[in-house]
Amino acid sequence: MIKEKLLNIDRRILYGLLILVTVIPLRCDQKLNNITDDYSNAFYEAVSNIPEGKTVFIESDWTTSTRGENSGHLEALLRILMAKKTKFAIFSVGDAQAPGVFRGVLLRLMEERKTLGLPAYQPFEDYVDLGYFANAEGTLQAIGGDVRKVFEKKSIRDAEGKQRSAFDSPVLSNVKSVGDVPMYIVVTASNTIDRAIERLSAKTTLACMCTGVIGPSALPYFQSGQLKGVAIGLKGVFDIEYLMANGLNLETKESVKWSKQPDKTAQPITVGKTLDRGNRYFLSFMCAILLLIATVVTGNVMMFVARAQSKPQGDEA
Amino acid sequence: MMELLAQVEYGPLAVKPYSTEWLIGLIVTFLLAAGAAIGLSKVPANFRRPIVSIGTFLCGLIYVLYWLWPRPVNLKPDQVPNGMVEQVGKGLSDTLPLLADVANILTSFLLGLGVYSLARIHFGKIIKRQSDRGFSWVLIVSATMISVFGFVDYILRSQDKAGKLVDRENWGFFNVGQDIMFDGLLLQMDSVMFSLIAFFILSAAYRAFRIRSVESTVMMASALVLMLSLLSPIMFQWNTMIAQMAKGMNIPNADPSIPYPGGFFHNLQISDWANWVKGNLQTPALRAVDFGILLGALAMGLRLWLGLEKGGVSV
Repeated sequence: MIKEKLLNIDRRILYGLLILVTVIPLRCDQKLNNITDDYSNAFYEAVSNIPEGKTVFIESDWTTSTRGENSGHLEALLRILMAKKTKFAIFSVGDAQAPGVFRGVLLRLMEERKTLGLPAYQPFEDYVDLGYFANAEGTLQAIGGDVRKVFEKKSIRDAEGKQRSAFDSPVLSNVKSVGDVPMYIVVTASNTIDRAIERLSAKTTLACMCTGVIGPSALPYFQSGQLKGVAIGLKGVFDIEYLMANGLNLETKESVKWSKQPDKTAQPITVGKTLDRGNRYFLSFMCAILLLIATVVTGNVMMFVARAQSKPQGDEA
Repeated sequence: MMELLAQVEYGPLAVKPYSTEWLIGLIVTFLLAAGAAIGLSKVPANFRRPIVSIGTFLCGLIYVLYWLWPRPVNLKPDQVPNGMVEQVGKGLSDTLPLLADVANILTSFLLGLGVYSLARIHFGKIIKRQSDRGFSWVLIVSATMISVFGFVDYILRSQDKAGKLVDRENWGFFNVGQDIMFDGLLLQMDSVMFSLIAFFILSAAYRAFRIRSVESTVMMASALVLMLSLLSPIMFQWNTMIAQMAKGMNIPNADPSIPYPGGFFHNLQISDWANWVKGNLQTPALRAVDFGILLGALAMGLRLWLGLEKGGVSV
């Protein structure tokens, strides 16, 4: 009877179990240990060592459906850049809804900085929001050709509320071509990273933060050196937050040791939050994976048991 | 021609935004574009294919030439190009952002077309008083409300010079409305829709992921390794245990605090198995698939560019 039930578990029981194993761990805010992936280490090392005074381009192409992964990616990335006082220009070529979503993340981080007593990151002075470009192919090709002509018509408000060209801002004033940008980071839930690699990989350094679904298709570009680093899915968020908290290849006990690249180092982030969404969600994620493994194993074991029992006695002889 | 195109100014956009000249320019541009669209729709059927083919070829040619034609190196904006080769190269470089703008505007038309199509269908249902018109009302009302609240919120935030709206206490009716509708409803419902996949995956994996053949066994084994490798806090403990065993057996460089097992004990790390699967099986397979897809895309691109594709143009 129990064997039969385990062979055909009611899906409502599975759904209930999944709700339990994902919701209960969310209440637990314990710091977890981690083995960071090589591509996450490479990402953190590259972002942490961006030269001072340079401007980074962020292409944010995700919307609410992948918030669990991409929101953590963007938050961690912006925290690193803000802690290092790196200026950035943010825009989207992937989805009309994306600017509304990344503006929400920016607003949340501004509130967080205010709560923590950190200086505000000012639009126009410290970052520029360039909005949405509807055609990814054409826009990225043009950015590779002449970045000033693409963005110069974008007018944004300065601290006094005056409409000014984006290139009047200290963020973009030193950018003459995309080659002046030390890193172009794509935060995506789709294949817009392919477009960036096709159009820009020969002109600047690219890095990617993508969902778990897109991750495997980004890895060939990391292996070939076209992507400097990749943060994949929720594990990528957790890796980056863990590296932010502990640093990479340092003398300290907590520091992550990257045995394949022992000469590459990156300091931990000492200003503001480090462990947040990635650490908080990862226990739920782990429990969900364990439940998945357990149900698949149970299904198979019960299938073999049922098969053995249904065999005629003569077969065994 | 290239030099001429490169000098094109963006008529209505070159003047001060929201001024009278800007508005007149916008209306004239709209009328011209509408006239061109109506004119093209009246073209006799047998001329449509050549017009579309020539347009496609010319647009594609600019990108092909941009890729093939030599471009002047480090030419400053105020510097005059030297000779025909440099002039064409600069002209092509200058034309590209213009084409990107045109492509952006055309793609934006698609968004407008989508909204128009949706509105037409649902207003049609409401006017014809069809049985499920209630859903159409919900769609029309919610789309209108979220657009109005979103737009007013955007304008208020753009005009907020002192950054007062960063504090929730200073929010007005439209800011709160936008927050409830966008962050409170749309965002959450979108996330809920996506998270439903987790339930279906769990149920489907339990029912369908059974070892019935050699292929499914290989697939199950590799999936298990990859899933286990994602459980990094557990893998950390596992690796520490292996490193302790290695240290106990005096393996050189074994260090449980990193954890680093050293020697043969490296082979017991599941994270290393996963890296091997990703690096040596998954990535080459994906690269091969990508290569095939891109060869197909190249062939299709050439056919479209040269007008060899028979479908796609209504005659």
